[in-house]
Amino acid sequence: MKKNFIIVLLGIGLIIYASTIIASRNTIYYYTTSETENIEITTNERIKLGGFVVEDSVSQEDGFTVFTITDGNKDIEIVFDGFIPELFQENMGVILDGVLDSDIFFADDMLVKHDNEYVSSDGETYDVKSYSK
Amino acid sequence: MMLYGPLAAWLAVSFFGPYDVTQGIYSKLLYIHVPTVWVAYLGYTLTFIYSVFYFFTKKQKYDSLAVANAKSGVIFTIVTLLAGSFWGKQTWGTWWVWGDARLNLTAILLLVYLGYIASRQFNKDLAKTAKNSSFIGIFGVIQIPILHFSVIWWRSVHQQASILSQETVASGDAPMSVDILTTLLISVLLVTLVHIFLSKIFRISNDILWDNYLNPKSRAKI
Repeated sequence: MKKNFIIVLLGIGLIIYASTIIASRNTIYYYTTSETENIEITTNERIKLGGFVVEDSVSQEDGFTVFTITDGNKDIEIVFDGFIPELFQENMGVILDGVLDSDIFFADDMLVKHDNEYVSSDGETYDVKSYSK
Repeated sequence: MMLYGPLAAWLAVSFFGPYDVTQGIYSKLLYIHVPTVWVAYLGYTLTFIYSVFYFFTKKQKYDSLAVANAKSGVIFTIVTLLAGSFWGKQTWGTWWVWGDARLNLTAILLLVYLGYIASRQFNKDLAKTAKNSSFIGIFGVIQIPILHFSVIWWRSVHQQASILSQETVASGDAPMSVDILTTLLISVLLVTLVHIFLSKIFRISNDILWDNYLNPKSRAKI
């Protein structure tokens, strides 16, 4: 059936086209803390903000979890009310979803972004020099 | 037996292997997620090569090889999505992130190759089917480089590659402990073996289809 085949080809073409559109729209899946200074956002517009949790900044206030995230250049205070993933801890990368209001970011959704390091109980990563002797 | 040996060894290695101390025991899903997606890439790349061979030579064995690798690739893509999703729940805190380039593109990769398998059913004439499917096999492969580099091109919740990254390949160092790295490479080897034997099973069943198509009379006598 030639007709069916054309439908499949069209379908696949559509899927690939849609995927490029989706992907290019999400070139910035989240903003870093420094980038918030340059972006234009209206009040109450939800954005995603990513950064690393600053040491000794996590505390509980009125049922909210308050902490600071940074990208190395700019710190932003976070007021968080929502489900906290188990891996949430100091120095961990997080992506938050919420509203930025006068330098305080009110978020209710959190993702923990783990990096590509895998360190077992021996505590060291593979270094080619120490194994090539 | 040849299939179940590597399969059992792979599951045992994953189960008893070392894990990342920060992420906890669920980071052992690394030994499922990474090898399966690599072998899925391998399967689809072989589908591409055999589809090109079939398109130019019209020899049925190339079509059988292309289909077999695509079917095995689909199974490994499903496994990598399931393992990745479960790991995501434990680490990110969610099963799936809508709008993330890497995740969406993987789902689309699966859909395209499910389409490839579906396209096998659309024509009773096997020679026409094989020719039609070879188009999908040839064009579908474009997605693999896009998918692999998606975490570099677009800011993603998915981490960068640990092994197949420019940094690791250039320096020879890896951001992994030696025991984890060794276990991962053994897993990759075992999953490759699983793929070889699995695709052989699929190949044989497709050879039978071709035999029935090319020699209908010999079948009618039986």
